[in-house]
Amino acid sequence: MFKYNVKLAFKSIQRNPIMTGLMVAAIAVGIGVSMTTLTVHYLMSGNPIPEKSSVLYAVTMDSWNPLLPFDDDRPERAPHQVTYSDAERLLEIGKGKRQTAMFESSLVIEPIGDDGQPFEATARVTDGDFFPMFDVPFIYGSGWDSATDKSAETVVVLTKALNERLFGGEDSTGRQLQMNGAQFQVIGVIDAWEPTPRFYDPINGAFQEVMDMFVPYSVTRTLELDSIGSDWGWKSESITTFEQWLNSESTWIQYFVELDSPRDRSEYVAHLDAYVEGQKQLGRFERPMNNNIYDVMEWMEYHEVVEEDARVLLGLSFLFLLVCVLSTIALLLTKFIGKKGDVSLRRALGASRKAIFNQQIVEVAVIGFAGGTAGLGLAWLGLQGIDYLYDTPSALIRLDWVMVSTAIGVSVLSGMIAGMYPAWRVCQIPPAAQLKTQ
Amino acid sequence: MGFRPMMSSLMRSKTGPILVALQIAVTLAIVINALFIISQRVEKMDRDTGMDIANVIVTDVRGFGQGFDVVDSIRNDIDLIKSIPGIVAATVSNHAPLSGSGSGTGLRTVADETITPVSTARYQWSEEGLDALGIELARGRNFYPQEVIYDTPDMDADVPSVLITQALADELFGEDVDALGKTVYWGSMEPSTVIGIIGHMQGSWVNWDKLNNVVIHPGKPAYTNNRYIIRTEPGMRDELIPIIEQKLGESNLRRVVKNVRPLEEMAARSYRSDRGMAIILSIVIALLIGLTALVIVGLASFHVTQRTKQIGTRRALGATRTHIIKEFLLENWLITTAGAVLGVILTVVVAYWMETTFQLPRLDWRYLPAGIGILWALSSLAVLEPARRAASVPPAVATRSI
Repeated sequence: MFKYNVKLAFKSIQRNPIMTGLMVAAIAVGIGVSMTTLTVHYLMSGNPIPEKSSVLYAVTMDSWNPLLPFDDDRPERAPHQVTYSDAERLLEIGKGKRQTAMFESSLVIEPIGDDGQPFEATARVTDGDFFPMFDVPFIYGSGWDSATDKSAETVVVLTKALNERLFGGEDSTGRQLQMNGAQFQVIGVIDAWEPTPRFYDPINGAFQEVMDMFVPYSVTRTLELDSIGSDWGWKSESITTFEQWLNSESTWIQYFVELDSPRDRSEYVAHLDAYVEGQKQLGRFERPMNNNIYDVMEWMEYHEVVEEDARVLLGLSFLFLLVCVLSTIALLLTKFIGKKGDVSLRRALGASRKAIFNQQIVEVAVIGFAGGTAGLGLAWLGLQGIDYLYDTPSALIRLDWVMVSTAIGVSVLSGMIAGMYPAWRVCQIPPAAQLKTQ
Repeated sequence: MGFRPMMSSLMRSKTGPILVALQIAVTLAIVINALFIISQRVEKMDRDTGMDIANVIVTDVRGFGQGFDVVDSIRNDIDLIKSIPGIVAATVSNHAPLSGSGSGTGLRTVADETITPVSTARYQWSEEGLDALGIELARGRNFYPQEVIYDTPDMDADVPSVLITQALADELFGEDVDALGKTVYWGSMEPSTVIGIIGHMQGSWVNWDKLNNVVIHPGKPAYTNNRYIIRTEPGMRDELIPIIEQKLGESNLRRVVKNVRPLEEMAARSYRSDRGMAIILSIVIALLIGLTALVIVGLASFHVTQRTKQIGTRRALGATRTHIIKEFLLENWLITTAGAVLGVILTVVVAYWMETTFQLPRLDWRYLPAGIGILWALSSLAVLEPARRAASVPPAVATRSI
């Protein structure tokens, strides 16, 4: 019976190729547009580290200007970064399962042999805890331990891409790199790792590729590493030496802590409060006590990682899909009404309403499937277009199985919604009515 | 004029026309709101920069290793760049305007910490800075070469004289006060005298509502990272980029030369999401209008075939071709107008949603009649061909049996 229905569906499609083509096109365009925007939204709002997002926290403390809040529009917020000296002292105090201070810098890599030009590479300056905290995968070697953090040893972990460029992708652990006038030893190479959004640094860009390499936070002082990320200051301080810069009230360090469980959250904030209380005795932190920690998804929300444009487009594209569904219903209805004669003949020859209904639904399903498949192709094209327009990092734009199955689900659903009413209408045609006039 | 038969055929199968009207309503809501967003973005991208950005090149350089003399390097590099034929002016600068990376500060008109400062972008460059960007000084004077100092790394050092934009002057002193010669105070409460007013130039962050607030002070702290802004003779930019890159690269091997690129490219990057949004929405509008038009054509053609006998009968009873065409156009116009009325309500709902959820500006009401006009024209065009075909049904059809 099903085979027969499919055969009938194709016959009916052949009889009215333009109408059918229009319906397929309507569904395809609707699915294409809405899936493109939905995918972008889904990738932007995704959880980059689902297994740990509730135990990783960004730390903020209100060290800002006693006269003015950090953010005029949201006066309740503390600065989103901390000062270098506060980060240093928090690291000493510990209290989390793991913790890391970090910022972005860039170093000049001098040529390894006699040939080649020096070039600048970007670095995340961070603590050894970064790698286990954020589940960073390694191909060769490993990160560094806390002893290295303390001794400010010049070691470096490379990304896969930089290792490819410098050492042709071979195991480079133990090799030396001359950077910013210092000798660094390569101790590890990480595998491809592009958390999307880049949750640990939405401040300098949630959709950027990870930096080329990682170096210990403790070498900041010894090598006088400058930040290439954002820094925010409020206090007028005379800064002529690097040490003065490190001790300034300028906030440019991001601080993350890993707790054993979300239950430890308030306990950690209490530690922060105790620390700030101590600083207040020294005349710093003149604003009211305002220390907060944000888990990964709260931190994404805080920085409005999902761009407004993406949300506007998502809303408009679902209205677009509605237009497509409406056109499909109108077209189907018209087409089915054109089949009045055929249907009443079938009914007169003994076909039940259910049989007629099934027949129409199979036809709708064929159209929906064709539209959905074409729509997936269009969505793929749409994503390429967005990739081109926005020049996004490779990790952002991809159609994963979740999106593919969502697309299929949405097209089947919209096909069903579009097909139900027209199919039901057709079933209401009485058996003989259409035969009488002929 | 055939109103009755048309209404009766409309009433006989109500669902189809209702669906088309609904479709037109939603189409209208999307098209109007999308057009409005596009116009906002285009307006934003079209703003006057106050600079000759088509002929400006920006490059970053970075010295490394022991014994690298920053001040020497800056002076030599600028001399070298200016020796290239076709270069108009060159300066070292802390940042490039419109690039999205910049430095911000707050200024006050009185030395009082409790007063909220006026936020502004801040540039640090030489006496050639204005010329290197093609910025016009409205009043006052430019920096003297002897005011330009490179060797102090202190961010808060004394700056005796500054240039400010008219927009910043207005916000600081009010529109009817001449800011020339007045004193402004930095966060450190150090005073600076306004020696010149720039009529208009844009600062660093294109999404900032104070884009036109700019203060410039002479010279720049001597860091190993530096940025040069270079202006070429009109039309020579692209051929000079590789030459600058090569000459700078050869002249000093203790320095990395990064990204020699047009300022226009950096500005385009800053506007990338606005441009992207405008393009995506244009495609959406085109697809939507195309789809709606095709559906109207498809349905009308189908109806013509369905009603062949009725049309033939009416023709046989004396209706002219024009009658038939008018009838189809009128039927279509009624459906479109019903859709448009519903569409206006929907458009306002969507606009309200966007205004409240996303802090977008309020929809300009003039977009409503414009959108309805477009839809009227579109649907009439779409139905014209099927209507013509209907009119060509010969009266004799009525006499034939099917």
